[in-house]
Amino acid sequence: MTDLLLDQLTEEALTGRSDAAGEPSWLRDHRLAAFKRTLDQSWPDSRKDEFWRSTPFDRRFDVDRSVVTSGTTGTVVPASITASLDEEAALVRLVDGAVLDVHLPTSFAERGVVITDLATAANEHADLVRSHLGSLTSADPEGTGAHSDKTVTVSDAAWTAGVFVHVPAEVELEAPISIQVHVTAPGAHLPRVLAVLGHHARAAIYLEHTSEPDVDALVDEVVEVIAQDASMLDVVSLQRWDDGVQHLALQKVQAHRDTSVRHLSVTTGGSTVRLLPECDLVGPGAEVRPLGIYFADEGQWFDLQPYVRHIAPHAKSDVLFKGALQGRSRTVFRGNIYVHKDAVGTDTDENNRSLILTEGARADATPFLEIECADITAGHGSATGQIDALHLFYLESRGIPRDEALRLIVAGFFREVLGEIDLPGVEDAAVAEIEARVEAADLDQVQVNDAALQDLG
Amino acid sequence: MADLEIRDLKVEADGTELLHGVDIELDKGKTLALMGPNGSGKSTLAYAIAGHPAYTVTGGSVRWKGTELNDLTPDERAKLGVFLAMQYPVEVPGVSLTNFLRTAVNAVNEEDVPVREFMTRLREQMSELGVNQSFLQRSINEGFSGGEKKRFEILQAALLRPELAVLDETDSGLDVDALKTVAEGVNRLSGPDLGVLIITHYTRILRYIEPDEVHVMFEGRIVASGGPELADELEEHGYENLKTTA
Repeated sequence: MTDLLLDQLTEEALTGRSDAAGEPSWLRDHRLAAFKRTLDQSWPDSRKDEFWRSTPFDRRFDVDRSVVTSGTTGTVVPASITASLDEEAALVRLVDGAVLDVHLPTSFAERGVVITDLATAANEHADLVRSHLGSLTSADPEGTGAHSDKTVTVSDAAWTAGVFVHVPAEVELEAPISIQVHVTAPGAHLPRVLAVLGHHARAAIYLEHTSEPDVDALVDEVVEVIAQDASMLDVVSLQRWDDGVQHLALQKVQAHRDTSVRHLSVTTGGSTVRLLPECDLVGPGAEVRPLGIYFADEGQWFDLQPYVRHIAPHAKSDVLFKGALQGRSRTVFRGNIYVHKDAVGTDTDENNRSLILTEGARADATPFLEIECADITAGHGSATGQIDALHLFYLESRGIPRDEALRLIVAGFFREVLGEIDLPGVEDAAVAEIEARVEAADLDQVQVNDAALQDLG
Repeated sequence: MADLEIRDLKVEADGTELLHGVDIELDKGKTLALMGPNGSGKSTLAYAIAGHPAYTVTGGSVRWKGTELNDLTPDERAKLGVFLAMQYPVEVPGVSLTNFLRTAVNAVNEEDVPVREFMTRLREQMSELGVNQSFLQRSINEGFSGGEKKRFEILQAALLRPELAVLDETDSGLDVDALKTVAEGVNRLSGPDLGVLIITHYTRILRYIEPDEVHVMFEGRIVASGGPELADELEEHGYENLKTTA
């Protein structure tokens, strides 16, 4: 098969791959239309694109890579694949640009739940896939994703391994659906997920991202979820990459009337992660809770951009992201809340807190509001600080050694977020990730904020 | 030699000397009340004993059971049996109270108390001190009223079983019932193995915890010492007389 370069997609190569995969012609056309859009686009430029202002694309992302599609491990499960979210009710594993396996429990299948390869679904569930795939990205010229940048349109054109999930109306899944993206081969990986929840459906989707040590790869991921009326959706995304992975992710939910959506991202791995958890509130009464925790260490760069669009009236959003940093690391929080002029009765809040543990780390925070409607309640805030010397002294004065006291305080910092998630396995997995980072931290280097000390007489 | 020997202690904070040479002796089994008006340096002494990072010892010594505390970190002092019930207990968001207490008990006793046994002990102490069991779900001091924080300090002392308890204004912010409960809690801990240093502005708490000795501090120095009757004098005449004699 023709080698496909991420930076030089060709109509010929895309057509060849689509045909070889047995995709229906509408899907091939869909890909080619996206490909045509990419031709007019450049890769993001910090000087021109405000959403890229803080992260220099050309320095943090290498697009001069071949697109990995073969599934280099065949049907062999790579030894490096480990799951921390061990809730194997339903599991799909995407390895090196191919679907390695799909496990759909009988109890799910009996209720009409579909979990399958996206290419297969394009044939077998053509109506659903056709009407929704790309509808939140660049395929819909009237949609909120119409102006997606090139990192997204290349996915629309050239996505490889994909998963399709359909939870029919009124089906409430008690166990989560796990989708694991695992990378062993160098190159560009373009995983894609499309999920549709019918009205009054309930589901939790766990996205777990892992890689082999030392693999040099770019992962450009797009996840679209349509949550129809009064459905309940949880998305949990764990970024557990090894050091060599660059990760671009758009995880976007369209929330219809009276839906309840939670999104939790836990970012600890990867050299650069730019994560866009987005939610369009298109029906009245919809609620979204975008939550994030992250821990950036030496050399890591995390750019987190939750984006909520209040398009319908009387919807609610509450964004909370908390991150800790150490070593020469960088985090960017750019929260966006957009309130349409007709979205009366909107209730929104957005907050970011950063804990700088050692010298040399830098956290940028921009909790941004774009409000076209007066009749709303909106709040936003951000704060960056260090560990409070008084907290540390209090714990130490009770006999707790400094290292252990610091660990307790850092874990406590994240508790506010994790305390909101009651999904099976998630808190343990997230805490384990954070604790592993704190364990590895050079606690002797931790700087504390002693400003509060001066207030005591 | 007394168990606690403070000799010519000089302490400064933020570049200002607050204690100008303080001498105190206290043996285990005894209770010493340190009284004085606001700003006299009582809390500074308490913090210096516990090793608060904002206070620098510039001279003199604090010896506890023969060991110089000034050379030790706060947790090392706690392991030697030193406990400070703070005037303003700190809220530490997100750190669960149960986890904190168990970590502290294990660290001080250098053992690993089984969770069940620990929880039993904790619940006993909570009911004795009238602390609501629902607090187990909370973070350290978070959402506690002033009185609840003070009770929680004594609860910690009860679990950590110190040999030297420094109670810094433990009575302030407590109504009479709460004061009695807290004082009873302290008295339960008392015995031949515990020295108590009560720091207080008012004599109120001394009606429930009887001191063997009373020192009065003013402007960073001990200006008067005596038996329990000294507290009664202060109750009657206030600190005004001292200021003229100092």
